[in-house]
Amino acid sequence: MSGDDKELKSAFDIAMERAQKLGGLSSEEKKRLKEGELAEVGDALGKRYLSGLPIRDVELELGKYKEDRQILISYLISYLLSSLVDKISLANPDDVEKILEAIRHFSKRPKVIEGIRDIINEYQIALEQARQEIQGELGTAKRKELAKKGISGSAVEPAVEASPEWLETSQHLLSEYQKRLEGTKSSLQAL
Amino acid sequence: MKLVNNFYAYLWPGVTMQEMMKYGNNCNSYLVANALPGNKHILVDPGQVVNETRQKCLDRLISEMKKDGFRIEDVGLIINTHAHPDHYGASEEIRKMSGAQVAIGKEENEFLQLASGEMSQALKSMGFEMPEIHPDLYLSEGELRLGKDLVAQIILIPGHSDGHIGIYWPEEKIFMGGDLVFDGSTGRVDIPGGSAEALKASIERIAKLDIEYLLTGHQYGSPGIIKGKEQIKRNFEIIRRSIFPYL
Repeated sequence: MSGDDKELKSAFDIAMERAQKLGGLSSEEKKRLKEGELAEVGDALGKRYLSGLPIRDVELELGKYKEDRQILISYLISYLLSSLVDKISLANPDDVEKILEAIRHFSKRPKVIEGIRDIINEYQIALEQARQEIQGELGTAKRKELAKKGISGSAVEPAVEASPEWLETSQHLLSEYQKRLEGTKSSLQAL
Repeated sequence: MKLVNNFYAYLWPGVTMQEMMKYGNNCNSYLVANALPGNKHILVDPGQVVNETRQKCLDRLISEMKKDGFRIEDVGLIINTHAHPDHYGASEEIRKMSGAQVAIGKEENEFLQLASGEMSQALKSMGFEMPEIHPDLYLSEGELRLGKDLVAQIILIPGHSDGHIGIYWPEEKIFMGGDLVFDGSTGRVDIPGGSAEALKASIERIAKLDIEYLLTGHQYGSPGIIKGKEQIKRNFEIIRRSIFPYL
């Protein structure tokens, strides 16, 4: 046998070993593998929904997984909730509403949805209050700086969003409310 | 090129069809020279760094400014009339070179934040990227005082975009209108933030000003600067007659 044949055979042997291993998976390992696949499908459905797939079409896709529907829904909701955690920092109510609509539809837990909505509203209010406080303090300092550069007048409003103080405050608030949103995951996953 | 007093215009080629096809899209930029302490300049609508036909727009602007004896490093304030990338795109790049303050309309910035997904998708589908912009100041309707004694009026002129601003220099009777109107036409209203009704109202408002130089955002088949009160008045009449019915 030549050296090349040895490598070829070895690769073949490795492939055979892997195939045998698959056949020899325990039921626990098979279950984990299946869960992994369902998680991927759930994430993909969530992504498609956020890209514009209507809820009725999501239902159609779920219909292909009759036995695993509930598990798939829990992964879908988990993905949507993670997206919500990412999106609350953006002031786009349409995105937030779209996600809540889907979670409401699939979880059938109106009280949990109201809880999530309360968290988001609290975050928006806290953020606006913090913004107004910082605008007052930093705005005055920034105005003076602009005036030194020859820029002033009633049309001028200093932008404080890029200041380190605002970035720190807003990030701190965001983390706090993101943690609270993450906390609602367990209520929704227990379906 | 010098316009009047210390106002300079840097027009992006586009009067002929050949120019438009060769050079692609970018906006006209305007400079108010030595307007700020330390002989710093004000640059209105810096345009893009590179456009969709890979033209090096910023390099061209720098080169044109140099011909008039101005350096990009001496820009002290950048004013963006609206948040479309062909107007504001090079703001941050110029800031790196010069330390300039960057300004945009307050309502425009709010719209940019809220509709960032929708607008950037719409503009991306038209071939534009949305470069980052981090304004130092917002401009609302009111008086903008610059340097020792230069005064401009900031006027909110929605229609082409939600928070589009125009800049009126009353002493020189210059109006920098961005994409509100062009020679014989208007800015488009069929993109997120656009509104035909708002555009018409904005145009009627600006038509009442005493303007000798109307500086537009693009040379879309016609010169980018309309000079003379009568010419400007005629342009508004043409727009009312020929464009308004279709908006």
